[in-house]
Amino acid sequence: MSNPDPPAASADIPAIAATALTRRFGRAWAVRDLTFAVPPRSVLLVVGPNGSGKTTLLRLLATALRPTSGKATVFGHDVVAHAEMVRAQVAFVSATPGVYDSLTARENLQFAAAMCGRRFEPMTLWLERVGLAGLGEHPVRTFSQGMKRRLALARAWLAVPSVLILDEPYNGLDAEGVRLVHTMVTETTQRGGCAVVATQEWERGRRIADGVLVLSGGRLADHAPAAHFAAHILTMAGSHP
Amino acid sequence: MTTIDRVAAVTSKELLLEWRGRQTATAMGMVALLVILFLGVVLGSEPARAPAVLWVAMGFATVLGIPRLTQAEVEQQALETLLLYPGSREHIYWGKFLALVVMLTALLAFLWALVGVLFNIPIWTHLPALIGIGVLGVIGLAAIGTLLAGVVLHVRARELLMPLLLLPLALPVVLGCVRLTEAALAGRGEGMWLVVLGVFGLTALLVCPILFEVVMEEP
Amino acid sequence: MRGQTFLGAIALGLLAAGAYVGLVASPPDAFQGEYVRIMYAHVPNAWVAYVAFAITCVASALYLAKRTPVYDYIAHSATELGVVFTGLALVTGSIWGRPVWGTWWTWDARLVTTAVLFFIYLGALLVRGLADDPRRGARLAAVVSIVGFLDVPVIHYSVVWFRTLHQPASLTRGDIKIAPPMLAALLLGLLAFTVLFAYLLTLRIRLARAEDAGEAA
Repeated sequence: MSNPDPPAASADIPAIAATALTRRFGRAWAVRDLTFAVPPRSVLLVVGPNGSGKTTLLRLLATALRPTSGKATVFGHDVVAHAEMVRAQVAFVSATPGVYDSLTARENLQFAAAMCGRRFEPMTLWLERVGLAGLGEHPVRTFSQGMKRRLALARAWLAVPSVLILDEPYNGLDAEGVRLVHTMVTETTQRGGCAVVATQEWERGRRIADGVLVLSGGRLADHAPAAHFAAHILTMAGSHP
Repeated sequence: MTTIDRVAAVTSKELLLEWRGRQTATAMGMVALLVILFLGVVLGSEPARAPAVLWVAMGFATVLGIPRLTQAEVEQQALETLLLYPGSREHIYWGKFLALVVMLTALLAFLWALVGVLFNIPIWTHLPALIGIGVLGVIGLAAIGTLLAGVVLHVRARELLMPLLLLPLALPVVLGCVRLTEAALAGRGEGMWLVVLGVFGLTALLVCPILFEVVMEEP
Repeated sequence: MRGQTFLGAIALGLLAAGAYVGLVASPPDAFQGEYVRIMYAHVPNAWVAYVAFAITCVASALYLAKRTPVYDYIAHSATELGVVFTGLALVTGSIWGRPVWGTWWTWDARLVTTAVLFFIYLGALLVRGLADDPRRGARLAAVVSIVGFLDVPVIHYSVVWFRTLHQPASLTRGDIKIAPPMLAALLLGLLAFTVLFAYLLTLRIRLARAEDAGEAA
């Protein structure tokens, strides 16, 4: 993630492209036959009931999982063949913060920065941006869940990714935290990148969504620009068993 | 240089985490101490038994310590994040390897002090040789141990599986260190074992990082 | 399928022939008496165990390189059979050792290495079985097998140098120390068990293939 400038975004190269993307675990098909594209400078909202495959899809795009069949590319790089190139451009924030409890907030960020090849930046800036100013020396063990999530966001933000992939980012965040997420997303898209956000909270997600992908039972139920979706359609999708 | 940055970052993170909790060091130290005491009582504390007792204790302590090398990632679900940083995953191996080397070295120093007292061994007179043997032994154990730490990450009953996996594979290291230590304390050299341990360590450090990458691949 | 049954028939035939020659037709040993007959089972068992180990390693390496499932089937099957034959080798060796050497066990290199081999196989199988995902389990087992394979010669010589005992190998190059009829029985036993192993291996591979196909359905 040491390239703040994503590849020249032209309308021809989608930021993300998936073709018949499939992943199964044993006999269960988590996602099946997904085909879609995300243009640069846009935000894709992924919605669907629990167990519809949102997290699996995000993990496939982030190269945390390999597809069983089908393929996906991020700015032209295949997620399997060129996984390292993809990882250099993607920041993935999962639903669990995954921060080290015994380390301080600053140490957590410094570790992430060093792993991304950006060791010498001061972390104070990033702590401030996520509203954790002055808490750098506190062990993360003392943080609330919402604070841990903000730390996880800071960790992704400092990598200056071209693709931001967020799984249920609004969980446990207050209005300030939601604003923070939207700032991050907007910044990423304005740089020429894109964002994929999976969420159950349509009311919050719709404010930044350009396109919406609806999953149901692992399959693509709908994919259309955000303007086409009204709140009641999504409540219907959400009530599928 | 990014590689050094990344390796150093992993090593310092591991050591920092350990320092904050000191659980692994305490557990390893306790197990080794108890093994030594037990064997000392049961077998008698003639100086001739010391090398064997010491290195067997090291073996068991390492078995205990290795699963803890990846404990933090497992418990706090930080593994996925760790694996998704850009760059080679070999660096993660080297970082954890170096951290394990540091911990095993500290343990070995502690055990030598203990064994020196309990078995009446003049460690100071043979210190250079003992240090050299220690280096070979620790590197051999840590090289295999770090790979196995990765292997058991995604496996149930990891603490139970560890002795079964490590002890057979690390047998040459223990055997070699025992013979070398005996020789050193008697004032003679044992060139062949030096070669064996040297080759073992070198081969392990060539092969294990590559296999570690394979082990850490996404499913 | 036809070929497999044929192989099984040959294995059975050879085993029967080997049993006859080993137990009845060949003469007793000058020193060991009738107990030498255990050798005709023990040595082939040990041989097959090491062959299985070599196959496991090669198949594991191929699997990691190519990721085609068939190599994993071979590695898995060879590991399972390897555990069985190593166990048999240890048991028959122990039974043979008791009347001939006076002990159930000695700590010499070949025995210790075979025992260690048993544990490495077992470790590979357990890692495969206890992994959270079958594909990952296959990969982990392959890694353990490869490391084990590289380590076994080192383990062997380490134990040799650590202590020495055991009768010198009777089938050393050009220096055959056993009488011709007994040699014939031994070679027949080797052949019989090897063919048996090959037959069981193909059976087990077919089973592994079918299991995987069933899961995918």
